[in-house]
Amino acid sequence: MIALLIANSLALASLLIMLASGLALIYGLRDVINFGHGAIYMLGAYLGYTVSLVGGFWLALVVVPILLALLGIAFEYLALRPLQGRSHIEVALVTLGLGIIVGQIIIFFYGGVARSVDAPQILSGSVTVLNLSYPVYRIFLIVMGLGSCVLLALWLRFTSSGLYVRAVSQDPSVARMMGINADRLSLLVTSLSTAFAGVAGVLAGPYMSIDPGMDVTMIVNCLIIVVIGGTGSIGGAIVAALLFGMMQVAGSVFLPNIAALVPYILLMVVLLIAPRGIGRGRVLN
Amino acid sequence: MNNRTTTAASERVAPIGAMGGPSLRLPLTLIAAAIVFVAGAVAPSHFAGDFVLRVANEGLLLGMLALSVAFLMNQAGLVALGAASIYGGAGLLFAIAMSEWNLTPLAALCAAFLIIVVYATVLGALIVRTNPLAFMMLTLAAGEMISHAVMLEALRDYTGGADGLAVSFKGSIFGMEAADFANPARFWLVMWVAASLAGLALWSVGRSRLGAILRAVRENEERMRFSGFDTYLPRLIAYVLVNIVAAVAGLLHVLNAGFVSPESLGISVSTNALVAALMGGIAGSVGPILGGLIFSFAQDEFGARGLTQLLTGIAIVVFIVVFPRGVVGGLSGMAWLRTLSGRRERS
Repeated sequence: MIALLIANSLALASLLIMLASGLALIYGLRDVINFGHGAIYMLGAYLGYTVSLVGGFWLALVVVPILLALLGIAFEYLALRPLQGRSHIEVALVTLGLGIIVGQIIIFFYGGVARSVDAPQILSGSVTVLNLSYPVYRIFLIVMGLGSCVLLALWLRFTSSGLYVRAVSQDPSVARMMGINADRLSLLVTSLSTAFAGVAGVLAGPYMSIDPGMDVTMIVNCLIIVVIGGTGSIGGAIVAALLFGMMQVAGSVFLPNIAALVPYILLMVVLLIAPRGIGRGRVLN
Repeated sequence: MNNRTTTAASERVAPIGAMGGPSLRLPLTLIAAAIVFVAGAVAPSHFAGDFVLRVANEGLLLGMLALSVAFLMNQAGLVALGAASIYGGAGLLFAIAMSEWNLTPLAALCAAFLIIVVYATVLGALIVRTNPLAFMMLTLAAGEMISHAVMLEALRDYTGGADGLAVSFKGSIFGMEAADFANPARFWLVMWVAASLAGLALWSVGRSRLGAILRAVRENEERMRFSGFDTYLPRLIAYVLVNIVAAVAGLLHVLNAGFVSPESLGISVSTNALVAALMGGIAGSVGPILGGLIFSFAQDEFGARGLTQLLTGIAIVVFIVVFPRGVVGGLSGMAWLRTLSGRRERS
């Protein structure tokens, strides 16, 4: 029972980690909270649905992140860079507007009904470990989520571009003074972040149904995670995503009536006790 | 040389003549405002058909909501994305108070209003402390929390879940019966007075000492705290104030529609209010109300093709990037944009 609970919360947390760390990355570099991140995730899910129908799940898992990385490059050049001189609130509102536009275009093409994607043959079915039967796909999801999380940590920790990203996140002006090209870095990080959202979208397909409201649900969950984790702190976001997944899954088992409210309660509690979040991120501004 | 000095002198005289202006201009402005007020109250119900009036009523409702969003944006630099939870929540509470608690219409109205004000105060006490970006995220989260809570299975008997609640009251509220509220022409009069009063109230708060403190806190909170001002209470008061306006709009909406749906608590109502505020221009009280009317008529034009939300998104982007001062914004010298970008340069 407990093992199942932990596994389920890990599966949910895997998706959340990929999205929340993308949000935290862009925030760290650009000081922009991307309110359109949920829509990009939804776009990933719907593109994944289409590509899966045509060429199968594995192709979708490769093609969709590449397409969304290109979208991220466009987003960087057409939105983030021209608006660099504007206030953060305005840029956040623009991303909110862009998110609504993307969401509505998706609904225009796919209609308002929920879709489902089948897991590929090799990942369907379930395995039995220690007398517990568990769906293979969720294990795959956990491996992908934790794997990308480890890769991200390795990149940030051991490469020079990762070092630069950390430097800019910690203190943008000093980092720029030291000769770090934040624009080039931001291009990399934005496309990485949207590509991650694409991976998460494709992975979400067989795990939960794809529906037109998934963008708002996901962006709200991610914002909660980013706040709980300490804004701009990627490590904090990862811990918060795990905590969030655990609360959500445990909530739906033990408190099914108010499970939907658990994240908000968690948010309020964290704000009251430690307004700067777990990771003691840079103070939001 | 001599000639030039006289020109300069006469130019210097001009402002003095202009300074004499307000004493003459103020009564004129008041008279103009009074004429607009009376004309707006009387004319539409005589010249416009029921359908146009209905759209216009919705426009004024949205305008009041936009007014609350705009006031907080303009005076405090805070963007609230949770206006819908107050707007829809007030209406829903009114319906519950009548059907479940068996209160008289007037008592139900007061109960709903009080509960919403208490909720807004508690929420505000928690979140106005934060900075603008966090505030925006938290209002979004709080709004979503309320709209999820309404749909909970356990509360279905109370809230009606996805079906919403019908509101039918007997007797009268302020001398008006249910049929009067449903009548577009009569309701227009109510809406016109309510929107004008709300606009006037927020306008005068903006010009008061509280408004000055709010703007100073928006500019630089640390400096204000350093100067010995309480920066927390003014923002809390402003937050409660705008939510009172939003709650009044929500109650009027339910009285008119006779029905409260869970969609009225949804995120799209909040973004519509934001768009209306941005379209009209957030400085002043005329802009947001005008923006609400523009939005409502535009929605009537394009809504049938299912384009409302798409246009909402486009409008947010276009009005922020290209016309940050909105339709009316050009009339006012106070540009919200300039102050906010000024803040960015300093940070």
